[in-house]
Amino acid sequence: MHPLLKTNILLRSIFICLLLFVLSGCWDRVEINDLAIVTGMGIDKTDEGDIELSVQIANPKAMASSGSSSGGQSDGETTVVNTVKGKTIFDARSKLQEGLSRQFFEGHNRVIFISKELAEDGIKKHVDFFARFPSPRLRANVFIVDSKASDILKVPSDFELNSAEVARELAKLKIGLNITTKDLLQQLANESGSIALPIITAEENPTGKKGLRLSGSAIFKKDKMVGQIDSALTRGVLWIRDKIEMSSVTLEPDNTEGYISFELLRSSTELIPTIKDGKWKMIVNITTEDDVVENETNLDILDPKITNKLEKQLERKVKERIQDTLDYVQKELEADIFGFGEAFHHKFPKQWEKEKDKWEEKFPKLEVEIIGEAYIRRPGRSNIPQEEQKKE
Amino acid sequence: MSWKILKSKKKKKNAAPKPLSNQKQEQSSLFTSVKENEKEFRSIYSDCSDFILRPFLIGGKYDAILLYIEGLSNTDEIDDSVLSPLMEKNENQNDIQIGSLVKSQVAVSDVKELQTFEDCIQAISSGNPIVLVDKYKTGFSLGLTKWEKRSIEPPEAEKVIRGPREGFVETLAVNTSMIRRQIRSPKLKMQSMEIGKYTKTKVIITYIDGIVDHTLVEEVKNRLKRIDIDGILDSGVIEEFIEDHPYSPFPQMLDTERPDTVSGNLLEGRAAILVDGSPFALIVPTTFYSFLQSNEDYYSRFLIATAIRWLRFIFIIISLLLPSLYVALLTFHQEMIPTALLISMAASREQVPFPAIVEVFIMEITFEALREAGLRLPKQVGSAVSIVGALVIGEAAVSAGIVSAPMVIVVAITGIASFTVPRYSAAIAIRMIRFPLVLLAGTLGLLGVMLGLIMIIVHMSTLRSFGVPYLSPMAPMKLSEMKDTMMRAPWWKLNTRPHLTGDYNKYRQSPEQKPGPNKGKQ
Repeated sequence: MHPLLKTNILLRSIFICLLLFVLSGCWDRVEINDLAIVTGMGIDKTDEGDIELSVQIANPKAMASSGSSSGGQSDGETTVVNTVKGKTIFDARSKLQEGLSRQFFEGHNRVIFISKELAEDGIKKHVDFFARFPSPRLRANVFIVDSKASDILKVPSDFELNSAEVARELAKLKIGLNITTKDLLQQLANESGSIALPIITAEENPTGKKGLRLSGSAIFKKDKMVGQIDSALTRGVLWIRDKIEMSSVTLEPDNTEGYISFELLRSSTELIPTIKDGKWKMIVNITTEDDVVENETNLDILDPKITNKLEKQLERKVKERIQDTLDYVQKELEADIFGFGEAFHHKFPKQWEKEKDKWEEKFPKLEVEIIGEAYIRRPGRSNIPQEEQKKE
Repeated sequence: MSWKILKSKKKKKNAAPKPLSNQKQEQSSLFTSVKENEKEFRSIYSDCSDFILRPFLIGGKYDAILLYIEGLSNTDEIDDSVLSPLMEKNENQNDIQIGSLVKSQVAVSDVKELQTFEDCIQAISSGNPIVLVDKYKTGFSLGLTKWEKRSIEPPEAEKVIRGPREGFVETLAVNTSMIRRQIRSPKLKMQSMEIGKYTKTKVIITYIDGIVDHTLVEEVKNRLKRIDIDGILDSGVIEEFIEDHPYSPFPQMLDTERPDTVSGNLLEGRAAILVDGSPFALIVPTTFYSFLQSNEDYYSRFLIATAIRWLRFIFIIISLLLPSLYVALLTFHQEMIPTALLISMAASREQVPFPAIVEVFIMEITFEALREAGLRLPKQVGSAVSIVGALVIGEAAVSAGIVSAPMVIVVAITGIASFTVPRYSAAIAIRMIRFPLVLLAGTLGLLGVMLGLIMIIVHMSTLRSFGVPYLSPMAPMKLSEMKDTMMRAPWWKLNTRPHLTGDYNKYRQSPEQKPGPNKGKQ
């Protein structure tokens, strides 16, 4: 064959191959302005027993006009909340799409709000959608809402783009629980099946504006909500789960006036399950290191003797807090949200196999011993109280 | 139908070419009579107003003519050292002595004897005046070339902060002298040949004997000999005739304006091709990585040089991929963009009427047009273009809602990134490949971008430049040459030369020259 003819065939085949790319015709292509970017979702229960899905959709138009024109004449809110009823979440979602000019896109959904009413009936069946459908991320935070979920979505926010972002940032601070869809699914598959989810409420500020606030946790047994605990008890849960990052302890030392405040530097919790003569026992070993951040008393906290005393007192205080949590959650709610069951399963797999089914009865009666050590690492060199001491 | 027409056209074309200058033209020797010679030259140079033929008498007795081309020869020297001594009357002159007379009387250092018309024409064309004497079959060419040339200036396309500032000019002799001044050893060889039927362009292959692989030099010579063309006006023409893969967008020869780049490469065992009339030398063989290296890398301190090389690697990837990644992410993979960024991008795209891929094409093509316009326009208009361009692209297009602000940022970063590539020929290749990648990104998303990248890498690894794999020393991996690829090792560690092809002179310097305060003291 003539060499030129050969290249002709080559060129032709390359041309045809290139056409193939274009023929696929961008079937998957969605322009960004054809998307309804969902930033938060809420699920409520209707009176008929169906569910009501609320979605918070970002409104780029409002942001574009508020950004470009310095006046800030925005075309409505930065988010739009739509609500629709349906038998399942996806059913509601499909109905919602019927009235939405843009394609529903949950890829950026960061937060799922579930109303208390729905949670009391069990959440497993509703969470399934978020696990099975590919579009929503597993990284979305899950919250239980005291009131209606759709109301939370409508709360305006001061700093963040929308209320869903506020809720997510609150969870990220780790003052309360920080549970994502993935964590939730894992915990639902756990031995105990007990879970704890953060509760978020919309509160009115003194100025009359509404704001979001973390207020304790909802405790689930199996997948049904059985009770709730306040923020202080939630802190106890965090201590036991070794998830605590930010904590402050204020105590009044013996024999002096005023208070001393400690800030948590780091802490570690170890769950040590033991079985002795057939008696199950859990030892919670807590080591905490703290800084002194405020000293109202006249104590010279640089003195090791005083520091030792303070450490003992701090230890007691932390133990007290944890004991309070245990008393309520273990004895009254009887929900193993601490992962005690897991710990026994890991350490004593054989015994666990036998006792597994009786765990629900066993847990409330389980003996829990809290041992702990507290260290004051940085008392601080600020000496204002000491000077007063010298003057006297 | 159209295919047939194309084919038949090609066949016709194919039949047409005939070798032009390969057959040696017959050499006709000079006539004995100066009158006949004069007539012949007048007919050869008919209608050449710049050709000057000056008949005169040697010593007042013998007929002679002087031939030269106006503007190519030094007329002052001709008057002083040729005409005046020869025309002076001298009694003791015989016919036989004339040959030696020219040699003895003419105060010119370079005198050659020529026998044929062809040699004479060549001498005249290159600016050497010819003296022909009656009854004498030999002409004398006098080395009195002098023409106007551009003075040596800093190279425009390869600027450096530290390093030699001189660049090649259009005159071959000046260029070779600049290399010779840097490499003074007689081992620096310069082989000359002539290409172009009409232009008779002088082409020089230069290399260092003892470092270069001689098969490489032979190959270069063979490829150059195959060129059969009417004229060579720049080394770019030669480049297209001798490269290995003519259809590749990637340059396979390093073109440089800098004598120190040429010298550095000669010292690494490469050969350079210098072309008369072109300030660009070609260096062969070349790998892709040498396009990402500036000669300044070798003059600045090695840590800095390494950091700057990495900067270039990052930015070359940006210049290749940023627009296509932008399109792919924006139209196919919105979940990969951080939420806050996605929402602000959505906000800025809210008023844009075009899909992202069209937007990218509009902006990128506009940018390329501005770049091209900025290059070609006279200096006085250049600033106007840049102002208009900045206003049109940056401000007006965004506020009119034709393009989005992130798109402008993408185009700007891509544009700047492509200028970090030190070699223009490589930078422009990468800029052009960007467009098919954007098309792939717009049709297949990230999958398309990956596909395109794989195709580019496969293509690049098939390339060879004079026997050296284009991606070496990365593919095939040569660990010992890594010291001067991704990083630039300190000079006292660059002990070995890169291995290109065939035999090579491995060691560049003696080892263990790391400096320190107590070195050599014992």
